[in-house]
Amino acid sequence: MECQHVSYQYPHQAAGITDVTGTFPAGQVTTVIGPNGAGKSTVLRLLARQLPVAAGQITLAGKSLGQYTTKELAQQVAMVAQRHQLYDDMTVGEIVGTGRLPYHSLLQTVPAEEVAPYLATTGLTQLVDEHIQNLSGGQQQRVWLAAALAQEPAVLLLDEPTTYLDVHYQQKLMQQLRQLATTGITVIQVLHDINQAFRFSDWLWLIRKGQLVTQGRPDDLRQADLLAQTFQTPIEIVSVPRLGPYIVQVPGD
Amino acid sequence: MKQYANWWYGGVISLLLVTVVIALMAGTVWLGPQQLSVALNDHGSQAFVTIFSLRLPRILSSLICGGSLAVAGALFQAVFRNPIADPSILGISSAADFFKLGGAMLLPWLPGRAWLMALLGGFVALVVLTSGRALADPYRLIIVGVALDATFVGLQQLLSSGATQVSHSTFNGSTWLDATTLLVLGVIGLFVALLLAPWANYLKLTDAALKNVGVPVKVIRWSLLLLGMYLATSVTAVVGAIPFVGIVVPNVARRLVGHDYQTVMPFSMLAGAWLMLAADTLGRTIIVPSEISAATMMAVIGGPFVIILLQRGRGLHGMSTR
Repeated sequence: MECQHVSYQYPHQAAGITDVTGTFPAGQVTTVIGPNGAGKSTVLRLLARQLPVAAGQITLAGKSLGQYTTKELAQQVAMVAQRHQLYDDMTVGEIVGTGRLPYHSLLQTVPAEEVAPYLATTGLTQLVDEHIQNLSGGQQQRVWLAAALAQEPAVLLLDEPTTYLDVHYQQKLMQQLRQLATTGITVIQVLHDINQAFRFSDWLWLIRKGQLVTQGRPDDLRQADLLAQTFQTPIEIVSVPRLGPYIVQVPGD
Repeated sequence: MKQYANWWYGGVISLLLVTVVIALMAGTVWLGPQQLSVALNDHGSQAFVTIFSLRLPRILSSLICGGSLAVAGALFQAVFRNPIADPSILGISSAADFFKLGGAMLLPWLPGRAWLMALLGGFVALVVLTSGRALADPYRLIIVGVALDATFVGLQQLLSSGATQVSHSTFNGSTWLDATTLLVLGVIGLFVALLLAPWANYLKLTDAALKNVGVPVKVIRWSLLLLGMYLATSVTAVVGAIPFVGIVVPNVARRLVGHDYQTVMPFSMLAGAWLMLAADTLGRTIIVPSEISAATMMAVIGGPFVIILLQRGRGLHGMSTR
């Protein structure tokens, strides 16, 4: 997936992104990081075509995103939102089943056996008939991930997927995403935790004020000056035993 | 589907059959089981006339109306994502009623006038409900709906002071023409509703989530809205506006058989048919020889139900998950 000179401006708001050009390497985990309001979620929403590109173009497998039909796109790109709203009770099986909708006509119902593999890979088989609001935050996150995986996407987008998870589940999720990338899925996520981003990503996008500051491998971007400039806060890189380099924010002026 | 859903289905079907038999027997003249069987065999008897000309069309009409209104309520609740959305509370029924009356005064020559005008009225109300910000805010929707309802009721009262034909919203005097009209309109609508029930389930997700899985949100939203409107206004065209069936029945259905619309819709259809028949039968027997209209009966039952639902339920906002 690639962005070429992509811009988007929210109506009546200063925020948006301007002239962003960058790549998301296939089969790798790319994490978009940057301060609040930098335009991270905007990038994700543009990639999911939830927002229209105002200028430039986004390509997926060499084809402009705009050329995909809604259904074709749903078979290629899946999105796990930061927060999910439901208007009525749904069971785990029903939610994961919605991920199969891109492969069925509107009047067909999704057969249960089609959903089973995605429940199995996310460890939800036992919970298939459970109502989602009865589940823990970690389990709920898995349900939405399973629904996205059921779309069999080439690109998986996740907007701050660790927000409501405890440390244990955060680690598990990060490892699962890396595992998914090895199966050929391009994972693109937005994270707030810089260390997590550097630790679990193959590729990073640094965004500030709607512009791509730089992109590259974590080892190449782990520079205190660059990060301090991006986040506008003093940053040092320290070495932690058994963990290696660790980015810390230090008291500034 | 809930654990005991099949039992509830069995229960409502049994209740429906029992109530139909009682409705055939009850009335100004009580017909016992023996008289009932005599009437069925002797086509010249007064009892036969009572059953076939008066009670049977009335029973059929109320069954179809109840089923249609309950399913219309379930459809509106799915589309508006609001557990108390219903054709009566949103002003769709009263708009249909007003247009029907207007049609009777201005276009008396128009064939199929009552139905066409009721449909037009329902459509006008739908446009008002969906054009502003009401869709995004469940409380605003209900307030707009209530205002719309009051407006059309007022307009109807204005108009009816000079009209010859005023809607009474009762099954009293239902003819075989009414019953067959309702049967044809209702069966078509209910069949399509059962077919499209999975779409109502999709609308439990947000529009953004639906677009992500390639579902054309506008198509399914408007299809279900128009279908609900068609079912509700068909009832209004023939009988008049009857409140609350669409709120009471689907909400009880969710409690009993679960939240899957593929189960809620057929159950609502059966339970709505039963409730309407029970309300009408009760209304025409408790103060014989006079009677209470079905609309009044439903207002008495439905009003407190809505109050309890809002005071004790989880409110009108959906739920958030992580």
